Amino acid sequence: MRLRAALGPLLVGLALAALSHPAVAGLIAGLFGAPARRQLSASRLLELGSHHLALAGLGLLLVGGLGVGLGITVTRRRASGLRSAIDTAAAAAQAVPPVVVVALALPVLGFGGPPTLLALVAYGIMPTLRGTVGAIEAVSPEAREAGIALGLTPRQVLTQVELPLAGAGILDTLRVALVLSIATTAVGALAGASTLGTPIVAGLQNQNLLPMLQGASATAALAFLGDALMLAVAALVRR
Amino acid sequence: MTGIAKPLDLPAGVSIRYTFSVLAVASALSFTVTALPMLHLAANRLVVGTPVSAAVLGQTGWLICGLCLLGASCMGATRSRLAAPVAMVAFAMALLLFTVALGQAASGLTDGQPPATRARLASGAWAGLLLLAGTSLWAAGRTRINGAGWLLVAGLLIGFLLLHRAGAYDGLSLAVEYRAREAVVQGAVLRHIALSAAAVSLAAVSCVLLYAWRRSRGVVEIAINGLQVVPAVALLGGLVALASGLLTAIPALRATGLSALGPGPAILVIAGYLLLPFWRGLEAALRAADPSSLDAATAIGLTRRQILLDLHLPLGAPILVGALRVASVQAIGLATLGALVGAGGLGGIVFDGMAQFAPDLILLGALPVIGLSLFVERGLSLVEDAVHRRWRG
Repeated sequence: MRLRAALGPLLVGLALAALSHPAVAGLIAGLFGAPARRQLSASRLLELGSHHLALAGLGLLLVGGLGVGLGITVTRRRASGLRSAIDTAAAAAQAVPPVVVVALALPVLGFGGPPTLLALVAYGIMPTLRGTVGAIEAVSPEAREAGIALGLTPRQVLTQVELPLAGAGILDTLRVALVLSIATTAVGALAGASTLGTPIVAGLQNQNLLPMLQGASATAALAFLGDALMLAVAALVRR
Repeated sequence: MTGIAKPLDLPAGVSIRYTFSVLAVASALSFTVTALPMLHLAANRLVVGTPVSAAVLGQTGWLICGLCLLGASCMGATRSRLAAPVAMVAFAMALLLFTVALGQAASGLTDGQPPATRARLASGAWAGLLLLAGTSLWAAGRTRINGAGWLLVAGLLIGFLLLHRAGAYDGLSLAVEYRAREAVVQGAVLRHIALSAAAVSLAAVSCVLLYAWRRSRGVVEIAINGLQVVPAVALLGGLVALASGLLTAIPALRATGLSALGPGPAILVIAGYLLLPFWRGLEAALRAADPSSLDAATAIGLTRRQILLDLHLPLGAPILVGALRVASVQAIGLATLGALVGAGGLGGIVFDGMAQFAPDLILLGALPVIGLSLFVERGLSLVEDAVHRRWRG
C-alpha cells in the first residue's frame, strides 16, 4: 500500500493547518506572553489561502505543461543536438533565485500576480524539464526497441511505451514542482501579491508575532498538503 | 538510442543548409534586437521614460553588426581550427563595443539635461548583451581549448572594468546608481558572501555530526526531507515568531545576546535547507567504495581511520565537492531572503529597490547575486572535475 507514504505529510499538514487557526495560534502566542493583536480571522486566512492556491496552481499548470512538453520534445531523436544547450540553460536558470526573478520582473510587470507568475515559471520550468528528460531516458532501451519491433509508430512508442514507463518519474517531478511553486508564491507577497506570504512579510515588518506565526504555519501546511496529494495521486496511478 | 545523449557538435560535413540556418537565425535575432528600444530616457530614477531606438548607436551599431556577421559566418561556414577562436574574439569585441556604444549614447542623451535625468538600458540592450555573451561563450566552447571560457570571461571582465574606470559607462543609470552607493553595494556583497559561507559551514558540520549519530539516522533523514517542503519564507517567519516569543517569555535570554532578528536566524534557516544536499552527498560518498574492497581493507588490518582516509575519501571526494557546489548555489540564493529578517546582504538592496520601485537599485542588488551564484557554480564544478581526475585517474 503505497498510499501510506502520503500519510506523514498529510498529518503534518493538518497539524500545521490547525496551528494557523486564530484560536490555536492565539493560545500559543498567549503562552509566550505575546499580546494577541491583529490576528488573522479564519475567513481571511481562507481567502489568502485560496489566492495562494490559485496562483500556485496556475503556475504548476504552466510549468507542468511547458516543462513536460519541452522534455518530451527534446528527448525525440531529431532534437538530440539541443541537449547540451538545455543543460547549460538549466544550470543558468537555477542561478537566479525566485526572489530575484520577482524583483527583476517588478518594474516591467508591476505589482501583484504577474511578476509572481513569471517567477513561478522561470524557476520551476528547468527542474521539471530536467526531471522529465531524466524519467524518459530511464526507460530501458529494450522496452523501446521492443515497441519499435512490434511496428509501433514513433508516436505510439511515446504514448504506449515511454510515457507509461516514465509516468512515475514525471509525477515525482511534478510533486517537487508543486512544492516549489507553493514556496515561490509565498515569495510573491514581496511583490504585493496577496498570498499566505503576505501576513508573514507584514508581520516581519511591524514585529507582529501572531500573523507571522499564522501565515508561516498556513503556508507550510499548504506545502505539506500539496505534497501529500501528489504522493497519493502517484500511489493511485502506480497501482 | 545512443543519438539522444549526443551533444551539440560540428556537423559531419559543411552543409549549405547548416550554414544557411546559422546565418538565418543570426540575422533574425539581430533584426529583433535592433527593432527593440535600446535605452529609456527618463526624467528621474523612478519613472519609466520614453524609449530610444537603436539608431542612437550610430556608426558603431553597423560595426557591431559587421562583427556579429563575421562571427556567425565563422561558426556556420568554416571548419578550420581558426574559425571558432576568430568567432569568439569577434563576438567578444562586439560585446565590448556594444557596451561602449550604449554608454556613449546614454552620455549624449543625458548631456545638458537636468541632473535627475536617467538613461536606462531597455529591452533591446539587455537582449543584445545576453545574446552576445551567450554566442561568445558558445564560440569559446567550440574552440576545444581548455579553459577558453574562463579566459574569455576574465578578459571581458577586465575589459568592462577598464572601460568603467575610464568613464565609458558614466552616462548609464546603473553606473549613476552605483556611484551613489558604492560603499553600500561593496559591503552588501561581502556580507552576502559571509552569510552564505557561514550557512554552508554550519550545515556541513551539523550534517556530519547528525550522520555520525547512528541511532536516530532514520528520524533525522525524515526531518531533513520534511524541512525541504517548508517554504523558506514560512520557515523564516515561523522561526522569528517563535524566537521572539521565547525572548518575550524569558527576558533573561536577551541578556545573553540572542536576538529574534538579524544574521543568526537567517543563517540557521539557510543551513537547514542545505542539510539535504550534504546528507545525500555524504551517503553517496560513503557508498562509493564497494563492499569487497572494504572487506579486503579490513582483512589486511587497516584501522577504521585508515579506511576512511585511504578508501572512502579518494572515492567520495568528487561527490562531496558536488554536494558543496549544490549547497553553495542554494545558499547564495537563500541568503537574498535573509534580508527579510534583517540579516543584510544583497537582498537588502533588492528589497530597498522594490520598496522604492527603483529598477536600477533592484538590478544593483540582483546582478551580483546572479554573478556570485554563476561564478560559484562554474568554479566548484571545475574543482569537482579536477578532483575526479586526480583521484580516479
